[in-house]
Amino acid sequence: MAGPVPLVLLIEDEPQMRRFLALTLRAHHYHVIEAATAREGLAQAAGRNPDLILLDLGLPDAEGLDVARAVRRNSRTPIIVLSARGQEQDKVGALDLGADDYLTKPFGVPELLARMRVALRHAAVPADAPPEASFEVGDLRVDLVRRQVLRHGSEIHLTPTEYRLLAALVRHAGRVVTHRQLLHEVWGANFVEQTHYLRVYMAQLRHKLEPDPTRPRLLATEPGVGYRLRDELP
Amino acid sequence: MSEEAVPPWRGYLEAAGLVGLATAVCFVFRSRLQATDVAMLYLLVVVAVASRRRLGAAVLASVLGIAAFDFVFVPPYYTFAVHNAAYVLTFGVMLAVALVMSRLTARIRTQAEDAREREERTVALYQLSRELADTEGRGNQIALIERHLARAGGGEAVVVLADDSPDGGGPEWPAGELFESVAVRVAAGWAWKLGESAGLGTARCAEAEALAVPLRSAARRLGVAVVRPSAADRTVGDGVRRTLEGLADRAAVALERTLLAERHEQARLEVEAERLRNALLSSLSHDLRTPLATVEGAASSLLHRPDTLPVDVRRDLAETILEESRRMARLVANLLAMVKVETGGLAVQKSWQPLEEVLGVALLRLEDRLGSHPVTTLLPADLPLVPVDELLLEQVFLNLLDNAAKHTPPGTPIAVSAWVESRDVVVEVADRGPGVPAGAEEAVFRKFYRAPSTEHSVGAGLGLTICRGIIAAHGGRIRVESPPGGGAAFRFSLPLEGPPVAALPADRDES
Repeated sequence: MAGPVPLVLLIEDEPQMRRFLALTLRAHHYHVIEAATAREGLAQAAGRNPDLILLDLGLPDAEGLDVARAVRRNSRTPIIVLSARGQEQDKVGALDLGADDYLTKPFGVPELLARMRVALRHAAVPADAPPEASFEVGDLRVDLVRRQVLRHGSEIHLTPTEYRLLAALVRHAGRVVTHRQLLHEVWGANFVEQTHYLRVYMAQLRHKLEPDPTRPRLLATEPGVGYRLRDELP
Repeated sequence: MSEEAVPPWRGYLEAAGLVGLATAVCFVFRSRLQATDVAMLYLLVVVAVASRRRLGAAVLASVLGIAAFDFVFVPPYYTFAVHNAAYVLTFGVMLAVALVMSRLTARIRTQAEDAREREERTVALYQLSRELADTEGRGNQIALIERHLARAGGGEAVVVLADDSPDGGGPEWPAGELFESVAVRVAAGWAWKLGESAGLGTARCAEAEALAVPLRSAARRLGVAVVRPSAADRTVGDGVRRTLEGLADRAAVALERTLLAERHEQARLEVEAERLRNALLSSLSHDLRTPLATVEGAASSLLHRPDTLPVDVRRDLAETILEESRRMARLVANLLAMVKVETGGLAVQKSWQPLEEVLGVALLRLEDRLGSHPVTTLLPADLPLVPVDELLLEQVFLNLLDNAAKHTPPGTPIAVSAWVESRDVVVEVADRGPGVPAGAEEAVFRKFYRAPSTEHSVGAGLGLTICRGIIAAHGGRIRVESPPGGGAAFRFSLPLEGPPVAALPADRDES
């Protein structure tokens, strides 16, 4: 990792989980500050200006959503939400509020590190930077200037909507994008409830871009939350 | 009814007219008539009037008759004087006949009215009983009862039930304009306390603008029905009150039965929940203890002098820990789903989904577990979107695929296919393992069922039960079949119902 060592704020109330995460992250050369409550976490976020926040949604003293909202009010610090399965509504809420990604407990360390890398990389790009000209993962190459999609070097024909959907996912490559965000970006504000649009076009994209659409390698489904275009193959 | 509609003066006019007519007839034939004959004719007039009209008209007929008889036919003629005392007796008889006849006809009239009212009441009660028999649930029944009471009372009606506890407090009067009146509240209070009607049309608290009727069964008081006739005619006659009381009694019997049934259902659910809790506890203690023991063993041997362990052993131990903890996570997820299915707390959030996507998530999640089993998927390209809860359906796929992997020899294939059958999408997960034992096709879906051959293997025996619960919550069915070629084929249907999807916007190439 180039540059200074990133500072991670870990807001998690369960001591074992906090200990395990802190140990792991330190072993992977992150600086870690810990907070067991939302209050403490918000104070640390304001005082220490971390590079990344890991936020547990099940804090005892406040709704995780409120913490995410409070952090977002003052900074663009990437937030990765940690939550249990079954809390999809909360996850989606946090993501729509501006959290960058989420992990469902139990999760593996490689997954956590990958998410953190992506979030830090996106945060490092200044808000006013010109968009990337192209995107590449595996055998897929998307040329955003020429609006060209290549697989194994040969061009794949996409409909305008399919292309807009893919381009939206490329803009957030590696990060989860909620159904709502995608519908908003591709179809517009009036269509954020029409999730079946998204599902139909996502299926079409998979059939054009994935070798086996029932086992997507690039266009991953995040059940109940949204989709993710992987930016590195597992 | 026709009697009341005719104004009283018609009766008096008829009495006077008939007496005049009789006088005229008798006057014409007076040379051939005895005085007694004349008296008889007047008596006939009195009877005629009394049988058709009210008491007043009959009395008028007899008084006018006596006067005319006396004036015209009793000597000295054309005076009201009477010389023969026997005529006084005739007058008396005429008057008495008028009175007796009126009383008799009045009674017949009342009886007829009573009969009519009884018949109306019987019809009303019959209708209520019949409709109550077709209505389920306390709320629906109360609405129905209120409708009937309102119709019978010619206005509006509100049913208030008392607290459900055995001897809870009295009913709490609901908010609303009707109960803003103190008199209505007092009347309702009396009705509850005394078990008798009170308020409008009764002796107690008659100033109230509504009638309160108690709802009571043989065993206990249930509440009060308050009926307010419309403002145009704010009265409650005796007949109407009796009808309302009859309706209230009938309603109370039905409500009592419903309340008892609700209480039984509640008790049954509690027993069921208790049983489930016990079963879950035993499952937890057994099925979690095994992987926990493995995790503890592996972790402690990693900690205990780790330098002496070869690298590949350390790796094996770490993998064991990972595998076992994943197994525990699956078990916990299933236990949670089980509780949801069992307690009816399964909130199905359906949206139109491509099956391929849901299946894809399950396949990726189970990639390690499925290991050597090649999984083929056969989903037609034109398979429609299906209205499902993606997270729940994913759980169904996870359980079916996990089962297949668990109960079939390594390397045997698993096939997932789907097709449309009338208004359903049917999905099949088929394996090439030993299949389900004959006769156990139903039993496998039962809670805590374990295949006899896998008695030793882990698993709470909940997977298929959960599948059935989830599919049922979607309005579909799941069953297992034994295809001729061997193996087990789990087949479930998902109805294609629900609000239709909006058509997709056009997506044409601009080129």
